[in-house]
Amino acid sequence: MSTHFRQAMTWLHTWLGLVLGFVLMAAFFFGALSVFDREIDRWAIPETRFDPQPMPSFDTVLQPVYARLKPHPVDLAATQQRVIGDLPSPDTLSLSSLYAYTTHRDPVLAIGGEFDVPNKLKDDADEHAHVHGWATIDPRSGEFLPNNKLKIGSEWFYPMHYQLNWSWLNLGYWLVGLAAFTMLVALVSGVIMHRKIFREFFTFRPWKRTQRSALDLHNLTGVVALPFHFFFAFTGLVIFAGTVYFPLGHTLLKPLHDQHEVLEARRTGLPHEPAGVAAPLASVDAMVAEAKRRWAARDMPGEVGLLTINHLHDANGYVSLYRAGSDQVALVGQAIHFKASSGEVLREEAPPGVVGSINEFLTGLHLQHFEHWLLRWLYVLGGLLGCVCIATGFIFFVEKRKRKHAESNDQGSRIVDALAVTMVTGMVIATTGMLMVNRLLPADLAGKGEWEKLAFWGCWSLALLHALIRSAPVARARLNPAWREQCWGIALLAVAAVALNWLGTGDHLIKTMIGQAYWAVAGVDLCLLATAGLALCSVRKLARRERLSVAPMAAEAAHG
Amino acid sequence: MAEALAMCLAALFSLSGMGWLALSLEGHWRQLWGPKAVLNASTAQWLRLAGWTSLSLSALCCFIADRPSMAVLVWVMLLAGAATAIALLLAWRAHWLRILAFRPGNP
Repeated sequence: MSTHFRQAMTWLHTWLGLVLGFVLMAAFFFGALSVFDREIDRWAIPETRFDPQPMPSFDTVLQPVYARLKPHPVDLAATQQRVIGDLPSPDTLSLSSLYAYTTHRDPVLAIGGEFDVPNKLKDDADEHAHVHGWATIDPRSGEFLPNNKLKIGSEWFYPMHYQLNWSWLNLGYWLVGLAAFTMLVALVSGVIMHRKIFREFFTFRPWKRTQRSALDLHNLTGVVALPFHFFFAFTGLVIFAGTVYFPLGHTLLKPLHDQHEVLEARRTGLPHEPAGVAAPLASVDAMVAEAKRRWAARDMPGEVGLLTINHLHDANGYVSLYRAGSDQVALVGQAIHFKASSGEVLREEAPPGVVGSINEFLTGLHLQHFEHWLLRWLYVLGGLLGCVCIATGFIFFVEKRKRKHAESNDQGSRIVDALAVTMVTGMVIATTGMLMVNRLLPADLAGKGEWEKLAFWGCWSLALLHALIRSAPVARARLNPAWREQCWGIALLAVAAVALNWLGTGDHLIKTMIGQAYWAVAGVDLCLLATAGLALCSVRKLARRERLSVAPMAAEAAHG
Repeated sequence: MAEALAMCLAALFSLSGMGWLALSLEGHWRQLWGPKAVLNASTAQWLRLAGWTSLSLSALCCFIADRPSMAVLVWVMLLAGAATAIALLLAWRAHWLRILAFRPGNP
């Protein structure tokens, strides 16, 4: 390969990696946490610490619950902006469709639905005259969960992973998408730059100077998990391609999309529009039993993962039951649709074709609804390897330049280093800080979730400020002490979170591991303690490197 | 239970496979036996063969434990984990890997 080409690739890898590496770091880290989002939810909301439940009986448990479901105030306000005239009182609106969704890891059940509104829409192209309502319930009793609770795992860390919790103009989605695309570019250019990919496959030399050992680790973590990095960046893009990145079906090709919906309804026999004739709802439990019987007959017995009813209380109403995907890579599937008024089977979906199967495999391998704890942990490992890869990329960038910058009085590497501190240790501080605050605040505090979000951004901002204030030594080609100090912060916050969980709920590790085993909580506690341990280890090693970097030349001589 | 056993075996085979492949490289061989140790061509050949066989056995165990679509994912991720583990062992506890050469002391 020509040297020129390789240099061009190096330039691309360095600068794209630097600019979007900060976003990628968040995507990788919060992606790794999202593998266990439900478990983090349990830790953060102690009222929900009970065993995962299957889909409860619709006729006895869920039906009365939907009768009490109200439009969500947030969506009411948003819909009011889109319609002409005042919306009627939310108590008078009735449900036109509903859903209930659970997985093999969920003790609580997510439910929701659409309420019809009589108002005309301001924009003709806008087609949904609905207000949405949603809630989380205890499927054992049908009780609603208090709405001041933030599910830190699935409602904060998980969206952080794919849209940075920044919904304005969908910019969060676009940034993460751009970062995923950059990841693909970085992987290809990285492989081209790497001269000894096989000979140095296992090479990590922590005894060498920081620049060299950081590059070793960067190469190692990038290469050994290359398939993971590639497929997760790629499938992440695939998942949002049709809805966020290229929503052709809702823009350019909208007429085609709408026509297709009508044709598909005709083909499948599932009515697209309500008939306008009221009809009662037959027993949904009987439909569930029939669906389970049919799945078992196809040699894939399973539970219901998703239940939806369209055109509720209408003669055209139908119930769709999707099988939970806990034993397969693909998500929920094998849908069976029933006529709501009679319970007769309208349609049993055939297995997907080749393209459909590939799509299901690709999205399923990323979204992981399967029950496979080993693979879950391996995904966490893959995500953390990605974090190490990006973090060591930053460190290498700084180490390579800081001596030259020190001589020419350039502040470049100092700023990059401070940002790297913020993105590496600062992000962990924000995460552990949020968990700590979650256990510190009283359970019945109004707007508790908002305080937790504030704690998250607050901790992160403080970490940035601290990293900048302490960054002066980098300009003299030394190590920023903020790395070490923030590791102290992580250790303290993580241990405090575990202690506060114990004090506040009585769920200490001996109880959650041996007494009344509850691995969701024990797992989060153990991970926090492991994080604290690793942080303390890093403190020791960083302190040693700081002492060495005072006299770098002497140190190098000593190590040969 | 049988699935758990097959997965454990898959993990062990991927670890030993990666270990043998690492040892078939002279640099890592020296990390175990000292800077003057020599890795002769036939030993390297054997190590490579053992390494690839072991990785294949690991794949086989994955396919026994799970359906193919899942097994592929588990195997690829196990390889990443095993390679990382071997690299870290070589960096900090290289002598532990002597067990893979069935020789406790210096050759």
